[in-house]
Amino acid sequence: MKAENGILRGELKVRGGKLIKCRMKVKNGRIEEIKFSGDFFMYPEEKLEELEEMLINIELKKEKILPIIHHFSENVEMVGADADDIVKVIMKTITN
Amino acid sequence: MTRTTEIYFHPFILMEFRLINDGWRDAYENMAIDEAILIGGTPTLRFYKWRPSAISIGYFQSMEEEVNLKECEKQNIDVVRRITGGGAVYHDSNGEITYSFVCPQEMLPKKIMDIYSLICSSLALGLRYLGLNAEHRGINDIVVNGKKISGSAMTRKYGNILQHGTLLLRVDVKKMFSLLKVGKEKISDKEIKNVEERVTSVEKEGGVLDEEEIKRALMGGFEEKMHLRFYEGEITQEEISEAKKLREKYESREWNFKR
Repeated sequence: MKAENGILRGELKVRGGKLIKCRMKVKNGRIEEIKFSGDFFMYPEEKLEELEEMLINIELKKEKILPIIHHFSENVEMVGADADDIVKVIMKTITN
Repeated sequence: MTRTTEIYFHPFILMEFRLINDGWRDAYENMAIDEAILIGGTPTLRFYKWRPSAISIGYFQSMEEEVNLKECEKQNIDVVRRITGGGAVYHDSNGEITYSFVCPQEMLPKKIMDIYSLICSSLALGLRYLGLNAEHRGINDIVVNGKKISGSAMTRKYGNILQHGTLLLRVDVKKMFSLLKVGKEKISDKEIKNVEERVTSVEKEGGVLDEEEIKRALMGGFEEKMHLRFYEGEITQEEISEAKKLREKYESREWNFKR
């Protein structure tokens, strides 16, 4: 975990895959803002922005985040990372 | 004519592809033309180069996290965000050949990994015609003797597929590292050596450096593996005017710094 000005950061190198980074702001235990970046592939690409929207105001708990991301992943094709990796990188920003 | 996803496996059907043997253009124009061709969907293979040298980053990457912008400005290197995912690439104006491959989705397999496989193994076959020990490795890399010589990225939009990628002719790892933010720590000589051991180029592998010969070999790989037949063509007026509009996006700060 690395926090700068209240921004949490996490990074995950997927084994045999790509890198996912997460930048997040949290307020009262809920996600206030979240951005992913990295060299992975997601089709269609614009869906990532939808996911970032969907996660706003969600309680920062694995059991809350997991179903959202799994449901989201049904409508996208990811290469170099998968739904579980997204969950992992979010959780990495808060656990150390 | 109804097309099936299996059509490319058919040994008696040749698919007609336009070849655009393009030269140097700047980063914004190159990306705009690739997207304009993608929108039109005419089956096309375009070869091109970048002048000035440039860095392209993947659709999901953060410009500030990946690129040493100060150094790019100092060295007159353009920076642009691609519509395709994947990593940051330094496109040296004399160090590589870039290709872009466009066709309707139904001409290719449904699964992304199968498309990468098909296109990358065609390119690898082409490189083998040049005597290089090339093969497709991982998701989107081509390696020669185990070292990376080519990387590619793909998108699926407007009912069509665009895959573009580079073939390294010559590589200057030190320069590449001065422009990209590779790690958080300052790049040590040891790390440069590490990358030099993992990356190679046509020059380093002792291959021919005649670009026309290389392009012909790559086309040969596509002809053999995917049963394509090429005819020489040009970018159409329609594509040019589409690209003109798209160029504004690729030049904009809003697009390039959106992540």
